[in-house]
Amino acid sequence: MRLGVIDYGASNIHSVARALKSLGSKVSIVDTPDKFKGIDKLVFPGQGSMGSCVKKLKETEMFNPLLEVIKSKPFLGICLGLQILFNSSEESEEKGLGIINGNITKIKDINNENLKIPHMGWNNVKIEKKHELFSGIKDKQFFYFVHSFVSAKTETSITTTYYGEEFVSSLATENIFATQFHPEKSGAIGLKFLENFINWKI
Amino acid sequence: MSLAVRIIPCLDVRGGRVVKGVNFKDIVDAGDPAEAAKRYDAEGADEICMLDIDASFEERSTTIETVKSIASQVFIPFTVGGGIKSLHDIDMLLKSGADKVSINTSAILNPDLIAEASKEYGAQCIVLAIDAKQDGEIWNVYTHGGKNKTDLDAVEWAKKGQDLGAGEILMTSMDKDGTKSGFDNNLYMELSNNLSIPVIASGGAGELSHLVDAVKLGKADALLAASIFHYEEISIKKVKQALQSKGFEVRL
Repeated sequence: MRLGVIDYGASNIHSVARALKSLGSKVSIVDTPDKFKGIDKLVFPGQGSMGSCVKKLKETEMFNPLLEVIKSKPFLGICLGLQILFNSSEESEEKGLGIINGNITKIKDINNENLKIPHMGWNNVKIEKKHELFSGIKDKQFFYFVHSFVSAKTETSITTTYYGEEFVSSLATENIFATQFHPEKSGAIGLKFLENFINWKI
Repeated sequence: MSLAVRIIPCLDVRGGRVVKGVNFKDIVDAGDPAEAAKRYDAEGADEICMLDIDASFEERSTTIETVKSIASQVFIPFTVGGGIKSLHDIDMLLKSGADKVSINTSAILNPDLIAEASKEYGAQCIVLAIDAKQDGEIWNVYTHGGKNKTDLDAVEWAKKGQDLGAGEILMTSMDKDGTKSGFDNNLYMELSNNLSIPVIASGGAGELSHLVDAVKLGKADALLAASIFHYEEISIKKVKQALQSKGFEVRL
């Protein structure tokens, strides 16, 4: 089995690739449209804004092949890789992939807690719905986050996290799983999660 | 629920080896960096920091090898500092596996570096490191690993750094560093009251109560220490248990 890690040129993909390799996976970097061939599962680590990400995917002609793969193969979106699945984001005018209904909004400090933004550090992940990717992971474990924008709860939520407001820290629909946290930076629990993705059968 | 207070063991590295000195002097050898990082990860460190203490003056290839070696074995956030002068240096360290870079002397000589780096890589990976020493009512900023005094006021410089785009401030009290007499909580409280980005307190950890006080009194978001963790005088777990017993959120 071969895992593809998408590199559209603006994201630190190396830590994800290193973590997957440390778990014994074969990893290919997907940075041109032809490299989607022969990939069994796809990981999309995102960084930056939705607008610049979509633009870069289009420039590199990876936008359409990515949409094709997302329809059929096990897919893991990380951070911006979660946000880009939605229709749109307050952060940019460029539309997302529109696979999940809803919008991405800036973190709201609804209880006036004098929050520091970005939300950066270790926070609790509350399991709302059972999923194979959380098998062997207890409720309310700490994962590592770095982001300023969030998705409100959707029907696809698997876990939620509180920071200023309750937001979706991971979601799933069919062959797609996406996390707002960084499993590749979440220590032993993060590696357990990635191992579950490697073993995930749909 | 809020963010966990981060405990960050720091590896002071010189020539590919961990070293530790007192008050920035009297350096002694203390082991292999990647081995130490792995041990800290297993013990519950929330991040790893590596400072190449002589990198301002020496050649960089050893640093890159050490960074690669740590990054391939440790999967928690990893900050690298020491001798960073340009976007090229930052690029190289991030590509080698650092998640954040900490910039000290070069930020003072060239404040635009913080702004440019923050724009290019995002504020979340730019840490402004400051070495400060108290002088009456204020704290003076020192450069070149504590060797040269500047006219800068540490709190003012931290505020400027935040405006330039730094994502965190790593403040080391030179008066306290290596003394094990507690953190300079007045300095950290002053910073926390003036900043909206996280403050990492460094210098002076010797006992459990020192670490708790830096969070309670100094309002630090994260605690960085080298020798107490390195020589296993206090375990990371003990620090977290002590913080938890005082009502602070920790990752245990």
